[in-house]
Amino acid sequence: MSIPLVPQLLRSHLRELADNNQRLDNRAQFEGRDVELEVGILGNAEGSARVRMGDTIVLAGVKFQTMTPYPDRPNEGGLMCMAEVRPVSGRQHEAGPPSAASIELSRVVDRGIRESGCIDTSDLCIIPGEKAWQVILDLFAVSDDGNLFDAFALAGITALRNAIIPQEKFELGEDRPLIVSKTPIMCSYQRVGGRFIFDANGREELGGDERIHITLGDDNHVHSLQKGLKGAFTAAEFTELMEEARKKGEELRNMVHSLEGGN
Amino acid sequence: MKGVLVARLDNMTERKNAAGPQDNQRATQLVAPGEDLGDSEGHELGHGVIAIDGRIRATKNGRVNVNGNTISIEPRRTAYVPRPGDLVIGYIEGCTNNIWFVDIGAPFNAILPMSLGPSKADFGGTRSVIDIGEAILCRVQEVEETHSSVVTMKGMGLRKIRSGAVENIDPHLLGRLIGKQGKALRQLKEESECRVIVGDNGRLWIDGDFNGTLEVRNRLRSLTAEAKAVTLGGVA
Amino acid sequence: MGYGDVQMIDANGIRNDGRKAGDVRPISIELGVVPVADGSCRMKWGTNDVIAAIYGPMEAHPRKIQRQDRAVLDVRYNMAPFSTSDRIRPGFNRRSREISKVTAEALESVVMLELYPRSKIRVEIEIICAEAGTRCVGLTAASVALAHAGIPMTDIVVSVASGKINDVVVCDLNKAEDNYGEADLPMGVLPNSGELVFLQMDGDLSPEEFQEAWDYNMNAAMVIHDYCVEALKTGRYPQ
Repeated sequence: MSIPLVPQLLRSHLRELADNNQRLDNRAQFEGRDVELEVGILGNAEGSARVRMGDTIVLAGVKFQTMTPYPDRPNEGGLMCMAEVRPVSGRQHEAGPPSAASIELSRVVDRGIRESGCIDTSDLCIIPGEKAWQVILDLFAVSDDGNLFDAFALAGITALRNAIIPQEKFELGEDRPLIVSKTPIMCSYQRVGGRFIFDANGREELGGDERIHITLGDDNHVHSLQKGLKGAFTAAEFTELMEEARKKGEELRNMVHSLEGGN
Repeated sequence: MKGVLVARLDNMTERKNAAGPQDNQRATQLVAPGEDLGDSEGHELGHGVIAIDGRIRATKNGRVNVNGNTISIEPRRTAYVPRPGDLVIGYIEGCTNNIWFVDIGAPFNAILPMSLGPSKADFGGTRSVIDIGEAILCRVQEVEETHSSVVTMKGMGLRKIRSGAVENIDPHLLGRLIGKQGKALRQLKEESECRVIVGDNGRLWIDGDFNGTLEVRNRLRSLTAEAKAVTLGGVA
Repeated sequence: MGYGDVQMIDANGIRNDGRKAGDVRPISIELGVVPVADGSCRMKWGTNDVIAAIYGPMEAHPRKIQRQDRAVLDVRYNMAPFSTSDRIRPGFNRRSREISKVTAEALESVVMLELYPRSKIRVEIEIICAEAGTRCVGLTAASVALAHAGIPMTDIVVSVASGKINDVVVCDLNKAEDNYGEADLPMGVLPNSGELVFLQMDGDLSPEEFQEAWDYNMNAAMVIHDYCVEALKTGRYPQ
């Protein structure tokens, strides 16, 4: 990723906006962009979702492979989560091996889903010690206008919750849905113009400071946290963000569940 | 799955026999690159068209413009290409002891030599005059054949931008923002009580009262949204 | 008979997906699908789903790739990991490198590169769902996206493949036909001049079959070109 120039004027303008409780696109401090969520859009994936938040668009696709279980966990399958920010998604994204930023992105999303325990890995066992399912969640950025973290996490969990294990293709019986018991939701906040805001867009991200990513599970249990970029925050600020994340998480979780009426 | 029937049409002959641009219907026509626009004989070629084997051909996606015997295309989207005399807003991307490199939104960075800078500076003191990341209002002085350009800050009103906000819109929407004889822009300035300086590269400097700035930005946002809706709605 | 004697076309000349020999799969085109790009296009062709995005012209980095007399086209063809029935490991492979190269060379024949010396135009082709003939879809989508970005071009490249199944020459092979077919002839056509800028072939075709496949491609290209032009004028095809 080439490092884009941060116009000084943008930073001072964002400061002025924050002082007047305004944002570049007229949103309130903790207001997200409109979210569009679609499932089953990729013909060759066993589960898929597309998320659009403003001009940020991402895809998630779930594929299954068989694997040999790890010796210390012979009765369990595995989950792998890979995020790719390819050059198609923005001028600042260059070709080449994954950047540190995109690896961070991939690992933070992975932790949120894995640690929530939403996938019962023992359900993925086919023959103990010999064969198990490996669930691979690939996240793909189509257009990056800020906050890929939340978009990836939302697309990821939605795709998983709508995935089908292709047992027929592997001659292992009938196809069955992947059991996903929880819906972890990530909410990301970034300090822009001195205060934290929710769902920063591309320009806010460019002129912003540190970010905080919070992943909450169904019962508001915390499953993953990450602080990124330069900057320091106070305990009081963090408490406020946790409170906001609980509210927002509930809203997004209901949105994910609303697509599952058929099952 | 339903297939699409392939008709065996001889498109080539049909296109070659098309009427020339003098045909009035063609004046408001939308074209795609490669489209034949008739005989080139007796026509001046403007922007977005070339002549191949005595025929005029579109090279851009846009609307055909016939002005006298000049035929050109008003492109729907276009990259900013600097021309001498353009007023532009640039960001300083880097500097050496006596040169600033300026991002003016063109395919290539422009050069601002110290001799054309805003004030006297010691050799090696470029950053103390304008620092990296700062914005300037400047004019394109010359454009070489290889598209590298030189900008100047010597001139009326050219300066470092210290306050306000810089916004972008696609260069092809500038015409709509400014309006006939600058009417729309003048009205916007009056309503918002802001100073609005429009760079030819699609960057605007808005300076004034905070609420006025928001007003200008909302106008730009709706302009961009309108343009998008029109393209997608198929009205064009 | 084809490999393994898989019967893919019946006595009435109807193919396994209901098409006749000269029919193209259903196509839809939408512009502006990557809002942050300078130009973009999504093309669905059968169950192929391809996104092409354009960035530039911009300064070419590193400096050694700059050309003093013209712009360089930096084309990247890539298949997303979930685009095929078996997952693809991310990263550049030999196949996508070759397709990127021939796609770049096909586009270089129409893009007026001499207007932007020393700069670079990035062409990103992402296959998000693959059936058969992704290189053709990618090349066609890329040329529509270039036109959408306002890059000057002398023509649009329309690419389509014909081949042979069960000894019958057919247009626009689908997945099964591509797997079990006996030949594949992808071409990139300039619809306004009838010239070719992209040509590959593998398999076995008699001179007569070759001519038939060639003619199918030429005719299909004209039809697909009309779809592309329609999309460029109104933002999408079909309406």
